[in-house]
Amino acid sequence: MLRLAAVVTAALVFAAPAAACTHPRTSLNYLQGQVMCPTCHTTLDMSDSQAAQQIKGFIAKKIAACWTAKQIESALVANYGQQILATPSHKGFDLLAWWLPIAGVLAGALVLAFGVWRWSRRKEPEEPDDPAGSGLDEEDERRLDDVLARFE
Amino acid sequence: MTRRLKLGAQLVALACVAGLLALLVWSVVHQQHAPSVGSVAPAFTLRRLEGPGKVSLASYRGKPVVLNFWASWCDPCKSEAAVLQRDWSSYRSRGVVFLGVDYHDLDSDARRFVSAHALTFPMLADGSGNVTSRYGISQVPETYVLNRQGRVVAHLRGPLTDPGFAGEFRSAIAKAVD
Repeated sequence: MLRLAAVVTAALVFAAPAAACTHPRTSLNYLQGQVMCPTCHTTLDMSDSQAAQQIKGFIAKKIAACWTAKQIESALVANYGQQILATPSHKGFDLLAWWLPIAGVLAGALVLAFGVWRWSRRKEPEEPDDPAGSGLDEEDERRLDDVLARFE
Repeated sequence: MTRRLKLGAQLVALACVAGLLALLVWSVVHQQHAPSVGSVAPAFTLRRLEGPGKVSLASYRGKPVVLNFWASWCDPCKSEAAVLQRDWSSYRSRGVVFLGVDYHDLDSDARRFVSAHALTFPMLADGSGNVTSRYGISQVPETYVLNRQGRVVAHLRGPLTDPGFAGEFRSAIAKAVD
């Protein structure tokens, strides 16, 4: 009985380190670009402040415990609020931050396309029918011929 | 048709510029400044760092309040903690309330800090820093002393361990108690 208890205890003691994450599900490098430093308002990878160091330590611990990026981000949001994330969420009012730039680019492309189309249409009729022509209308040409005929 | 389109485009451009200007004006007007001495301290409600529930500043109206902003990652806060605990022990009998506001901090680290420094006055968590920014806090630790009417008597920027602050802190509390 005592031997069994000893074996169970030993198994528990050695099982804990073995349970540590062998295949991390995210990386510190990735999350450093996704999480803001709350005191310096830059992403963690651009900050070396004490608050940033603290969060980097937290992330490293959670990665070692096999947490996913989403789990770590959720824990940080619960602690610091949504503004701890470098990108806005994909719901509610925050959606505007994602869709407005796309809408802006599309609107710009449409305006540009319309402008180019109009410009090309305006240019076409202005092309002279006869590239070698004098550019004078019939009346002027007739007068010019008359004047020139007088000098012949 | 072309003229109408041009006019429409110009109106849209004008509206965009006007919108951006309005945003600029709004951000300038709503910039957070530290409440000045004599003004009413901004109201807030924050969750307790340890245990459930929330605490609002208004619930302490009628009592002098020492509001200390700190974080576990802040080195000067460590040396200041003992001074705060000592002062809290000596002033609490005179009805002075001490409130710690932990900002931009991990709750777990903050709780460890409180336990390591044996701090016994109420601690509130401001992880997002929203309340702290309304007090114009740029770096911790900073301390406000409020009188019974909730007006600012003193704002001490830096740790209370600073040689100049000990006297100022005591005289501020004396004013707040009167």
